Amino acid sequence: MTRNFEELENLLSAAIAAGEPGRFDDLALEVYRYQREYNPPYDQYCRLLGAGDSPAGWREIPALLQAAFKYAALRSFPAAKEIAAFHTSGTTGADRGVHHFSSLRLYDEAVLRGWDLLGLQPLPQIILIAHPSDAPHSSLSHMMGTLKARAANAEQHWCINTHGQLDLDRLRDLVDEFSRRGQPVMLLGTALAFLHWFEALEGSSLALPIGSLAFETGGYKGSGRTLSKASLYAMFQKRLGLAPDDIINEYGMTELSSQCYTRGLDRPHTAPPWVRTIAVNPATGREVADGETGLLQIYDLANLGSVFAIQTRDLAIRRGADFELLGRDPAALPRGCSRAADVMLSATS
Amino acid sequence: MNTVERAHAIADACRDFEHLLGPVSAEMFLDWLRIELGHESVLDGFQTIGNQMLRAVAPRVILHIVSGNTPHAALQSLVRGLLLGSRNLCKLPSGGLPDAEAFVARLPADLRARVEFSTRHPDPGLAAADAIIVFGSDETVEHFRALALPNQIFLGYGHRISLGIVFEDAAFESAPLAARDASLFDQQGCLSPHCIYVADRPQEYAARLAGEIERFEGTSPRSKLSLSEAAAISESRETARFRMAIGHDVHLWESRESDAWTVIYDGDPIFHPSVLNRVIYVRPLPEDPTAAVELARPCLSTIAIWPNTQPFAERAASLGASRVCALGRMQDPPWTWRQDGRHTLAPLVTWRSWEPDITRYLGGLNRS
Repeated sequence: MTRNFEELENLLSAAIAAGEPGRFDDLALEVYRYQREYNPPYDQYCRLLGAGDSPAGWREIPALLQAAFKYAALRSFPAAKEIAAFHTSGTTGADRGVHHFSSLRLYDEAVLRGWDLLGLQPLPQIILIAHPSDAPHSSLSHMMGTLKARAANAEQHWCINTHGQLDLDRLRDLVDEFSRRGQPVMLLGTALAFLHWFEALEGSSLALPIGSLAFETGGYKGSGRTLSKASLYAMFQKRLGLAPDDIINEYGMTELSSQCYTRGLDRPHTAPPWVRTIAVNPATGREVADGETGLLQIYDLANLGSVFAIQTRDLAIRRGADFELLGRDPAALPRGCSRAADVMLSATS
Repeated sequence: MNTVERAHAIADACRDFEHLLGPVSAEMFLDWLRIELGHESVLDGFQTIGNQMLRAVAPRVILHIVSGNTPHAALQSLVRGLLLGSRNLCKLPSGGLPDAEAFVARLPADLRARVEFSTRHPDPGLAAADAIIVFGSDETVEHFRALALPNQIFLGYGHRISLGIVFEDAAFESAPLAARDASLFDQQGCLSPHCIYVADRPQEYAARLAGEIERFEGTSPRSKLSLSEAAAISESRETARFRMAIGHDVHLWESRESDAWTVIYDGDPIFHPSVLNRVIYVRPLPEDPTAAVELARPCLSTIAIWPNTQPFAERAASLGASRVCALGRMQDPPWTWRQDGRHTLAPLVTWRSWEPDITRYLGGLNRS
């Protein structure tokens, strides 16, 4: 018999708190069966694929395309019970995906437990991301708000104004103040926000107290900007005095509830124990061997209210249970006559 | 070597490349010169054109910047420069371009000496060129346009989109032709259709098209893809499959155990670009398709129609296409084709004029 939402939520909450992956397969199959029963669009997709009710293991559970969140309300609960919805970025309403929630309990627990697994000392937080009250549909803003529980003395300073712009004066004042106090801080922001800040510094540098850290996430989507991770981290070093190992990168997305992390350069991302990742060959759908590249699929038990298994748009190299993120490669995507000339240009300029 | 001799020599060398260039003859090249420059020998000396004596001067050096995935465009560009008698610096992608190199090897020594290939960054060639022709994305074209000097002739061919429209076809006779258009060059060219609009029974047409593309794949397998390209196809397919599952008016046909070809019928008539590599959409043709193709309009190149009659051609042209042709002929534009709605030879030449009849000029003065 399938358990109800609350019963499953309790089970999963305990698994997240314990950080114990031992029962992953059992939990995965329970969540799958529950979602087949209560999430009609996902069930219809599985039926079309001919997927049965009792897969042999979590790897056999059909992963749903990330983009599917644009086309249907993928709720595993009645719409009337919805209490929150996070929207993906997009230029128009039509190309935005929505992740619906009847409860944020597992989401918040995954954020906090995942953070704890990084083993960081609590620090005051300077945040280069919109406040949740200014961006109620941003999963990243919600995550930042949740991380207040891991800030030293719950001290958070938000540096994106209500117009969505970086408050450069406030940032400088805050860094100066913490430097005077000799109090290390945690800077949290998107890669794009950091890039804008570094460019606004116009060659000058700021001195952060020793022990400070940075958390960066996201790419440069929609900005027309590209910058390698190594180049961005060199800017962290030059402008803020932060070494690559002082920087944590998060891989997450609106359609998931959990996050994967890496620290420094040239290390793979690690998923928390209640999440599994694999890479599949896009042409065959079969899992690639260790060291090979494929499309990243993420199996997130905290996604109880939506879909457990998500097929992302990102390419990654499989590194054991971890993955080395390559991301989407826009230059390699087909664009008619342009592709080879673009490759030539990017290789030589 | 005068222009007529060059036309013959180039046509001879083109014969082995008709799979890329379509039918070729010296007479076609001479027609092209007559249409665009007014006379086939106007590059060799003054000729009477209308009531004037004119001589065309070709660029001394043309720099061609071409893509590796559209060898036909590279060959066409080279033919252009050779016919004009220019020296041609051809910047190839790093992997080279075997078709272009094989073509040049078939030219007589005099013409062969007028072509120089390079895979290096073309900055040195940029400064030496009197004219620059670039095929690439809008960003690539703008990059080179910004580098061009004010006195250089610049022709940029950026991102273009093409599509097909089947106005009437009770027996689906055009399906194999549409399959050929969508499959040639793995759909990489600007003249490859992203979508076929079908007025009558579009879903049935899509099923027929799928069969024809599968047949084409049997004799001309698609090239191997990069992982990113394969990922893009996977995303298109799974999106279609999911929409099908949840009851959208969508249907998917796909090659088994491979991503060699994909046909997606989508009941939504709004145009969306394909990820290419033999992924083709079929959509119902609205009464007035203007709004449906709005997204494609700024970069619309060719609309292939069926049947290929003038009333339908007028309707297709009114949607913004610079070229209208029959389905099955999308990849075979004539040499006289106005690419992107512009001449292809005329913008490259400059003119010398001679006024031999001085008395007419004086007579004009006397009348005042």
